[in-house]
Amino acid sequence: MACVYIPVQNSEEEVRVALDQLPRDATDILDILKAEQAPLDLWLIIAREYFKQGKVDQFKQILEEGSSPEIDEYYADVRYERIAILNALGAYYSYLGKIETKYREKEDYFIQATKYYNKASRIDMHEPSTWIGKGQLLLAKGDGEQAFNAFKIVLDGDRDNVPALLGQACVHFNRGRYSEALELYKRALQVYPWAPSVRVGIALCHYKLGRFEKAKQVFHRVLQLDPDNVEALVALGVSDLQTNQAFDIRHGMEKMQQAFEIYPYCAMSLNYLANHFFFTGQHFLVEQLTETALAVTMHGPTKAHSYYNLARSYHSKGDYEKAGMYYMASVKESNSAHDFVLPYYGLGQVQLKLGDLRSSLTNFEKVLEVLPENCDTLKALGHIYVQLEQPEKAQELYRKATKIDPRDPQAFLDLGDLLISTDTNAALDTFKTARNLLKRGNDEVPLELLNNIGVLHFERGEFELAAEAFKEALGEGIWCNFFDAEGESILNRAQTNGEARSHNEQLSPNRRAQANLINSIRYPIEASSVIRQYKDLQLFQRLEEQGLSVELPWDKVSALFNLARVLEQLHNTESASTFYRMIMYKYPEYTDAYLRLAAIAKARNNVQVSLELIGDALKVDEKCPDALLMLGDLELKNDDWVKAKETFRTAKDSTDAKDSYAAVCLGNWNYFAANRNEKRAPKLEATHYEKAKELYTKVLLLQSANLYAANGAGMVFAEKGQFDIAKDLFTQVQEAASGVFNVQMPDVWINVAHVHFAQGNFTLAVKMYQNCLRKFFYNTDSQVLLYLARTHYEAEQWQECKKTLLRAIHMAPSNYTLRFDVGVTLQKFSTSTLQKTKRTVDEIRATVAELKNAVRVFSLLSAASNLHSHGFDEKKIETHVAYCKHLLEAANVHCELAEREEMQTMQRLEVMRQMELADESRRKAEEQRKVQLEKRKQEDELKQVMQQEKHLERIKEQWKSSSSKRKEKPTDDEEGGQRRRKGGKRRRKDKKSRYESEEAEAETYDQEEMDYDDNNASYREQYNQTNDVNDREDAPQDLLAAAGLEDSDVDDDEAAPSSINRRRRALSESDDEDEPLQRRQEPEPEPEADQTADMQMSDGEANVGDDED
Amino acid sequence: MKLAPLNTVQNAHDDSIWAAAWVPPTEDSGPLLLTGSLDETVRLWNPNDPDKLQTNTGHCLGVVSVAAHPSGRIAASASIDSFIRVFDVATNNTIATLEAPPSEVWQLQFNPQGTTLAAAGGGSASVKLWDTAEWKLIATLEAPRPEGLKPSERSGSKKFALSVAWSPDGRQVASGAMDGTISVFDVPRAKFMHHLEGHCMPVRSLVYSSAPLDSRVLFSASDDGHVHVYDAERKTLITSLSGHSSWVLSVDVSPDGAAIATGASDKSVRLWDLKMRAATQILTSHTDQVWAVAFGPTLQTDVRSCLLASASDDKSVSFYKYS
Repeated sequence: MACVYIPVQNSEEEVRVALDQLPRDATDILDILKAEQAPLDLWLIIAREYFKQGKVDQFKQILEEGSSPEIDEYYADVRYERIAILNALGAYYSYLGKIETKYREKEDYFIQATKYYNKASRIDMHEPSTWIGKGQLLLAKGDGEQAFNAFKIVLDGDRDNVPALLGQACVHFNRGRYSEALELYKRALQVYPWAPSVRVGIALCHYKLGRFEKAKQVFHRVLQLDPDNVEALVALGVSDLQTNQAFDIRHGMEKMQQAFEIYPYCAMSLNYLANHFFFTGQHFLVEQLTETALAVTMHGPTKAHSYYNLARSYHSKGDYEKAGMYYMASVKESNSAHDFVLPYYGLGQVQLKLGDLRSSLTNFEKVLEVLPENCDTLKALGHIYVQLEQPEKAQELYRKATKIDPRDPQAFLDLGDLLISTDTNAALDTFKTARNLLKRGNDEVPLELLNNIGVLHFERGEFELAAEAFKEALGEGIWCNFFDAEGESILNRAQTNGEARSHNEQLSPNRRAQANLINSIRYPIEASSVIRQYKDLQLFQRLEEQGLSVELPWDKVSALFNLARVLEQLHNTESASTFYRMIMYKYPEYTDAYLRLAAIAKARNNVQVSLELIGDALKVDEKCPDALLMLGDLELKNDDWVKAKETFRTAKDSTDAKDSYAAVCLGNWNYFAANRNEKRAPKLEATHYEKAKELYTKVLLLQSANLYAANGAGMVFAEKGQFDIAKDLFTQVQEAASGVFNVQMPDVWINVAHVHFAQGNFTLAVKMYQNCLRKFFYNTDSQVLLYLARTHYEAEQWQECKKTLLRAIHMAPSNYTLRFDVGVTLQKFSTSTLQKTKRTVDEIRATVAELKNAVRVFSLLSAASNLHSHGFDEKKIETHVAYCKHLLEAANVHCELAEREEMQTMQRLEVMRQMELADESRRKAEEQRKVQLEKRKQEDELKQVMQQEKHLERIKEQWKSSSSKRKEKPTDDEEGGQRRRKGGKRRRKDKKSRYESEEAEAETYDQEEMDYDDNNASYREQYNQTNDVNDREDAPQDLLAAAGLEDSDVDDDEAAPSSINRRRRALSESDDEDEPLQRRQEPEPEPEADQTADMQMSDGEANVGDDED
Repeated sequence: MKLAPLNTVQNAHDDSIWAAAWVPPTEDSGPLLLTGSLDETVRLWNPNDPDKLQTNTGHCLGVVSVAAHPSGRIAASASIDSFIRVFDVATNNTIATLEAPPSEVWQLQFNPQGTTLAAAGGGSASVKLWDTAEWKLIATLEAPRPEGLKPSERSGSKKFALSVAWSPDGRQVASGAMDGTISVFDVPRAKFMHHLEGHCMPVRSLVYSSAPLDSRVLFSASDDGHVHVYDAERKTLITSLSGHSSWVLSVDVSPDGAAIATGASDKSVRLWDLKMRAATQILTSHTDQVWAVAFGPTLQTDVRSCLLASASDDKSVSFYKYS
């Protein structure tokens, strides 16, 4: 037991003070020390002992007493001890200052320390220990330069002063000048060879200089000298642990454990042990160790580490609250993210987990500042931005992550997910990259990924690729057997025959047998049950009976469903329906499959089965909005107005009015209800329009981009005659719709055309209708053809109108209204031609022909009306027939007249021509005569010459005997010329006669036409009458009513009310909301309203005939 | 099995071509193609030298159907004005003008024996049979109205007869209607036999298989985009061929019975291998609806191949070699 003896003044006695039994109150001791005037070194010893025992107050009390002025005075000559006391106090305060975190207190402590050291210096300027103290103080204050100087002063006096050497080494070390520090440590070691802690310094220098082996050697040496050197053990342990190899880690842990056993309060070793136990999952130990570590150290970074360990432990246990708290503590200890970034990451994670996105964001951003290329952080941040609905930022981060690590499929997956909603093309590329990465890494490609790829291909209209993706997602299964059964055909589409067979043989016999089994069970089907095929599930029952088990794992249902969607799109309806039914068979609650089958059935006009399937879907989920909406649509198709409205209402309610589709449907319902009623009720109409508008507007308020609601709103505007607004709306919708593959909105095209029509822009309307037909209907829609015809009609393009109507008849042969319209068109054409002041014979002939057609058409209709009523009044048709016949008579007369005129003109012309011809021939004869005269003259001359010659020759003959042949030649020439001229004349005559015969033919034709006309005599009167009627086309309406007409539209009347009516007819289109994948069912354009439209057209025309009566 | 395009006559008519049929070869001439159009004319074509041989006028309101007598000497054409014009192929002399008001006329077909001309009677919901010797109406084949339905406005147009086909032995006639049902009639007894159900949209074209063993097999083309293959006697659906993206307007079977060709409003002509039950070839040379496809007689030069003609709304006629 250590004790000190205080000599009693003026005696030999001593007071014995046991150091471990120092009184609690230091005053007692102080009294003794003062009373006995004990040597100052005793004061120091006792104060130090108090300090060791942690009794800082007592320590301070004794030393402060020991440095008081009276002591200075009394012990004036005891310089060294006085300095020692002051230095002790200085050291104490510099230590306090060093560990204090608050700035002001820190400063205060340093000032105190400086004060004491300065006092010590005043006693002896050259005392080395004071300088060392000052140096330490300066070090603590971070003033390396001054500290270095202080140590230098000491070393100048004693170049082997170990504390000074160490101090200087420390300054060098802190400044990163490790080799200088190393030199100094080495010098210190030479002075004081047994100094393990100096060696620790050397080792650290080596470590810092990158000489890890050397450092380890030194640490080992330290341990040889001092097997219990904790620092060396910890250092070696850390270096072992950092090798990251199982063997070394075990060694490292052993060393840590050793260090712990030697000195259980080394925070470093505690942290590392805790770290170890964290990974081994012994969270209890982690907590204990870290708590101890926290208790024993004041060192910020170490504490940060401890807190981090603790937080991590709680984090992994799922106690996010506590984890967050400790992460926070850890963050506070380390001050800067650059020193220790991990807790920021942990904190970010925990906050994310707790939903504190903003804080989490800040923390991850701090991590990113330190580690700008950390993919996990980038991804985490990306994730947060997604949650914060800042997709652009999220995208940026994910993109960066994928750039930094182009091999991380997860990052690509997340990026793809983000891109889906904004940029499907980029999303597809990203997903593909992810798939390739996973494949390259031989990882299993998740089903969802393949499914997404498929869906994206689908949305881009790349159905083959989509099918591939879905098939890949499905993998092996019963569907493969169906592919086999069908597959041989699918695969061989592009191949030639021979290859096809060989492929077939590639199938294993087993699979071929299964394929054949499927085919044999599928067909043949009893013809009477074919239409129920879409509900047939027996196929699978029979397959199972035959030993082919039908298995469909739940996670593959979506992929199979999507595949079926693709097949549907590829028009492979058979397989699509089979797969939908397979889903139905295995998962009877999967309503989408029912609805798709219903949609297929509906597309094939199999309304009954479609209704049944929807009914089945509603049995599964009576509030299924999709099913309800489809049902409503079908009910409309069946003309069940009231039911349809109820259904739409139910659908709307079942979705808490959130489903805009239901609202749009109701809007449409109201719209159609407005012009449905044949008896006009303006009030009711207005209410319905108002209601429709309200519904559309509501939807638009919720979703400003809802094309269908916008289209609907446009329709209401158009109905009210606000065409410019309507056109604007339609055009915008059209633009928006035409950019997207999976939005098909023919209606808006039709509506735009209707507006053009209503505004009198017939050319534009025609173009728009034609484009619409081509683009959406493969030119098959007779209704649009009818719109087109009506436009031609209004534009008075009769031939186009007629042809368009004939096309429509060809498309829809059983629509007799179209025939009626043809009749009306022909009639109208004739009327308008006959009304013209100038008309050619050909025109009139055409008129006659068309009138005959009109009579034929109307007569046929009249005859057919016995068989079945097609919606028009028999009497009305009769009227048309009669009227056309009248017209025909008139036309025939005109024709006759015209032809007679023409004939006369022609005869006149002929006479003139003949006269001309006669003149010419006369002239020619004259000429000829002249020529002949001349010739004769020449001949005469020639004769004379010849005679002279003859004479000469005769004389010559007389001289010599020769021939007289020469004389005949010129006569021959003359005769040939004449003949040629005659031939020419004959040709001309031929021509003339042929013309005449043609005329004759025409005449007989006319004669035939005239025969057709019975009352030839009275033609003129009737024609006048007709003219009158035609002039009075906008006759009083009661007259029309009298004629049995409900509609009062008068075609030629361009006044406001009727043009609005016409527009009303024009704007009867409905909306299809074609949501991809799920909702393909469309409310069809309501036929009723449109039919009314043609009726109106016919009726409007009919007045021409009726008026006459 | 494939189609090789031979040549195409652009602007073969002044307007949409709606009908086409082969005239069998005679001593005087090889096989000729007969086409009918919205331009109210019927034209004759020589496939080897695709210049128009002859233009027949005399129809009003668009020619919807043409048919040739097996002898190759007589042909008939029908138009929207409900007249059938029977004429001499070589001279274009009118032999007879047939009408049976109020029945309109859609598809025409001579029986293989050449004794009868069948005409789908549209709204009269019947097939009219005309004797080819005296050009008299000899029978009206009518499908019974479905029971329980009143002859109301809607059902009236339901059995609207659009298309007609003769079985190879001439004993059966099948007729397709607007509502998609096909009625099969026994001709000698002039009796309705049964319905073939499965389509719910207009059946615009029908043809019996020409292969000797498959004479009961009937192909039907419908607006629902499908071609159905029926066993017309057993009342069963043998298979269903889908792939066209719009109405199938016309179907014809190859002389060897191994393939069918279809024309559709999706502008394509497809060749289907019946063994594989799939389209082996898709030809997309037309730019509008293909209203008619017709296999011609086998070629003299190569008995295993024959001609195929297609006629379209784009005013063109195309010839292919099928082998």
